[in-house]
Amino acid sequence: MRIALVFSCLLWACAPKSHEAGVRHITYWEKWTGFEGASMDRLVARFNQRERERAGREANYRPIEVEKVAVSSLEQKLLIATAGGNPPDVAGNYSFFVPAYADKGALTDLGPLLAAAHIERENYIPHYFELGVYRGKVWALPVVPASVALHWNKQLFEDAGLDSNVAPRTIEELDAFAEKLTLWQVRLDSGDTVVERGYLPNVPDDRKRLIQVGFLPNEPRWWSYAWGYYFGGKLFADAAHVSPNDAGNLRAYDWVRSYSERLGVERIKRFRSGFGSSSSPQSSFLSGKVAMELQGVWLHNFIEQSAPGFRYGAAPFPYPADRPELANTSEAEADVLVIPKDSKHAHEAMEFIAFVSSPDNLEDLCLGQDKFTPLRTVSERFWREHPNPNIALFRELGSSPNAFAIPKTGIWNEYNRELTNAVDLIQNLSEPPMRALGDVAERMQAAVDRDRKTLLRRGEP
Amino acid sequence: MKRRPSPNPLQRTHPLVHVPLLILAGIFTLPLLWLIATSFEPREQIGKVPPEWLPRQYYIERQGAPITVTPPVPFEKGWVHVSEWSPSKYHGGKVTSFLLRPRDVKTRIAPVWQNYPEAIRALSSSEQDKQRPLGELLARSSMPWTPKSDRSKSVTFLSYLANTLLVALLGMVGTVASSALVAYGLSRIEWRGRSALFNVTLATMMVPFPVLMIPLYGVFRSLGWIGTLLPLWVPAFCGGAFNIFLLRQFFLTIPSELSDAARIDGCSEFGIFWRIILPLARPALAVVALFHFLYAWNDFLGPLIYLTEPRTFTMALGLSQYQSQNGGSEWHLLMAASVLLIAPVVALFFVAQRTFIQGISTTGMGGR
Amino acid sequence: MTGASARRVRGLLFCAPWLLGLSVFLLYPLAAALYYSLCDYSVLLPPVFIGAGNYRELFHDPLFWKSLYNTAYYALGSVSFGVLVSLMLALLLNARVAGLALYRTLFFLPSLMPVVAGSLLWMWMYNGESGIINTALRHLGLNGPAWLTDPAWAKPAIILMAVWGAGHTMVIFLAGLQDVPSSLYEASLIDGANFWQRLIHVTLPMLSPVIYFNVVMSLIGGFQVFTQAFIMTGPSGAPERSTLFYVLQLYDVGFQDLRMGYACAMAWLLFGLILGLTWLLTKGSQKWVHYER
Repeated sequence: MRIALVFSCLLWACAPKSHEAGVRHITYWEKWTGFEGASMDRLVARFNQRERERAGREANYRPIEVEKVAVSSLEQKLLIATAGGNPPDVAGNYSFFVPAYADKGALTDLGPLLAAAHIERENYIPHYFELGVYRGKVWALPVVPASVALHWNKQLFEDAGLDSNVAPRTIEELDAFAEKLTLWQVRLDSGDTVVERGYLPNVPDDRKRLIQVGFLPNEPRWWSYAWGYYFGGKLFADAAHVSPNDAGNLRAYDWVRSYSERLGVERIKRFRSGFGSSSSPQSSFLSGKVAMELQGVWLHNFIEQSAPGFRYGAAPFPYPADRPELANTSEAEADVLVIPKDSKHAHEAMEFIAFVSSPDNLEDLCLGQDKFTPLRTVSERFWREHPNPNIALFRELGSSPNAFAIPKTGIWNEYNRELTNAVDLIQNLSEPPMRALGDVAERMQAAVDRDRKTLLRRGEP
Repeated sequence: MKRRPSPNPLQRTHPLVHVPLLILAGIFTLPLLWLIATSFEPREQIGKVPPEWLPRQYYIERQGAPITVTPPVPFEKGWVHVSEWSPSKYHGGKVTSFLLRPRDVKTRIAPVWQNYPEAIRALSSSEQDKQRPLGELLARSSMPWTPKSDRSKSVTFLSYLANTLLVALLGMVGTVASSALVAYGLSRIEWRGRSALFNVTLATMMVPFPVLMIPLYGVFRSLGWIGTLLPLWVPAFCGGAFNIFLLRQFFLTIPSELSDAARIDGCSEFGIFWRIILPLARPALAVVALFHFLYAWNDFLGPLIYLTEPRTFTMALGLSQYQSQNGGSEWHLLMAASVLLIAPVVALFFVAQRTFIQGISTTGMGGR
Repeated sequence: MTGASARRVRGLLFCAPWLLGLSVFLLYPLAAALYYSLCDYSVLLPPVFIGAGNYRELFHDPLFWKSLYNTAYYALGSVSFGVLVSLMLALLLNARVAGLALYRTLFFLPSLMPVVAGSLLWMWMYNGESGIINTALRHLGLNGPAWLTDPAWAKPAIILMAVWGAGHTMVIFLAGLQDVPSSLYEASLIDGANFWQRLIHVTLPMLSPVIYFNVVMSLIGGFQVFTQAFIMTGPSGAPERSTLFYVLQLYDVGFQDLRMGYACAMAWLLFGLILGLTWLLTKGSQKWVHYER
């Protein structure tokens, strides 16, 4: 081995300059920094190592060298770079940007490359593989999947006299728990302050200060568009028609609105402005300011980093009591690898993707990111070594028939902005859900029709 | 421009004019003081109600030695669980924790100088790099001239600084050189078409950047410049309408006899420009240079659109990216980083105060 | 070869950089934008000509109107308050007060702040819970709004920040004030005019060209507001789109949705709008701007 290395070094040193340029550099943009990024860094190092070793063995082999670049707001920068004709060779994007990118001609069709690399659809959990498929073509390959669940703070449950091992199963239970978990500082006539539980509708506003909330819909603020799904709503009725104001969505956002009514819009805003980012000890959940939160599989890692010893539980997000068939609903998205259009090294990029997607490597990657794998079969080692005690739950949620993903549409960006704004209006009690979502329906139907026209003009079916 | 001391109406009014002035000066200065105060506060003081102006250090005594700690705010229960994660977070790697009684935690007034190295570290893009000592971290900085494939370098605060300086200084040189040349051509040589070109130049002063940003993106795309620093400084070498206008007006005030005398002595046109006009126009050139530097230093929209990779980011862009990723509660670091972004501008102001004030007074512009 | 043609060659040579810049970085992009504004264009795919389709859609786009309204609100607010405050400061400083240079520096410094840093600072000051602004208001017995997260207060908050940076307008006013001939003041003193009469009949008319200049420049700048909102309230103009400014919407449509044709139409309308406004102001100014000559 060592001799081979020395030999190859000699060869390398004696070779003309062009041979040194024989290393095939490819650029890989990744959105993650932090522990997720570090876990990918290890795979990149392993890949580069493998390539160097192979070059050591085979004299004529030109090794691939992956340079990973952490790019923040990647979904945006990647579009600008690709449209600008200067894209990376491979990039780690979010699954929900795939359709928009594909429609704009910013991605390479992976189909033939995947076939050549023997990456089979059958090996993946169907839901996750499908995330990269759009208009009959495979544009992206899932690497790290995610699902979400209700997390609760066991300490706060005990303080409220609740059984810290039992999570609410229905929305109604969630609401009842939330009331018990809400704490106020109340100023008495004597000038003393006492701490009180519940929503205290009879205490005048200037007498009470919020110190803890049982549940805040839309905290964290990443999924304002998604609440309808937990109530049986859908964002698209069919491929050509939007339905942000269907019965399920209206019910969901009426429920979201009820929290603003109970707690007070201004008060929520002020309470929120004290929250730190989700991974910090000052986050709403880890600082104990919010007792129950919808959070992703990654929360476990945040806790290990920022609040070791924090006691919490995770369970499927509750369903409305009259819709038991909605149990185990969870948003299920994935990080995907894509090859941008005009990547100068599509084949090399595919080799890297194939390397990452081998079962062992994929398991290592997902272990490092504290998530489950998108593959159908999982090794025993994966379960044994996985640090997250709830990992099986998240995988079940991800494979549940009620797992949902952001609808595949080229106008998701716009739709998302519209919904975010509508939910803003609803939560601020500025507009009732019926009107806010009705406006969204009208505007987005126009956008869908426009998008359709654009595609037709281009001759797409 | 000549200034006559004018006996204006307020001059003879009483010293009470200081009252509104002092109040207003206080209001204008308060944000800056708050910026500096926050930049020296420890993490746990951020978000305190009511906010505190003086940085306070929380510490416990262990075996006679003080250990700085970051207790949760407020202390609610009898025992507090203290996770020591800042600023030693990046050195030790692992979090140490103590279980304390609130009365064991003492405080003293002390600025947290570490916020500054911490902010510099936080702005670096790679996670492993954040754990290196500051000197080593900065020594690894990727520079604008570092080849893309050099994996031993990484993106740090210093990279952002170097990019910003490169864009600002090259742009400054370019804009001064080209605008002066063009202004000379438009003022001291008489040729047919000159006034037409000058009128077009005046008209283009009205075109704001946002109108051009999308088609310019197309131009830079065909040049292969997207994702590089080139779009941010190369165009400066083609001159700018306003600077040309400004310098032309200045050149027109220089008597033509000077050029004529030089021409008789056999001086070339460029020689006249270089040896006679430029030295005389130094104050105006300084104004153009200063304002361009300021513009480039503060620019955000241009870098946002044309830069894609962190290694090419300017300070303003790097700071905003850090904020959008880690914002929320890290105000002490954000404020420290902001001080670092502002300090050079303030220093420049004190060095070149006269040029600033005169430049703004005469041109009505100012690096905006 | 002497005379006109030689001078012309020399003139063109000196102007060569600008001729290049003018055509490549200005006239061509403007023309290209005009063409793309008539196309369905997403950069990566060839443009498809659709006539006035983009403009037609634009006029029916509620976000276009919303952003226009927000921008006009901001521009009017920041221009009127900015000009008023800076004029007031300049008038106060126009006396030979002790410490003039220090005052001037204090008022001027904020206007030098890089917008990104200034935005971060104000974001922190506007924090609803622990920001110093609400703390100060609490001391006055007032319950401050949630500023940047309150749709009614987000725009005023950004305007207030702009007023803080108005020191640079103040410097221009100060220069203008010092150019008012002293003979006029002397004459008015002899006539027995009081402070307000002097202000209205002497100072303001003499200053009107400078006021006009500042109003036009601030208005043009106001219509381009972007960075403050992008940093403080995010790229989609939260809360409730109350800070969705024109350039922000232009950026969203162009660079997030890659609808470049539509964005080019927006860009041209912005250009037309700014030209139109400047023309209107110039036209209207003839009534109140007083030139010495």
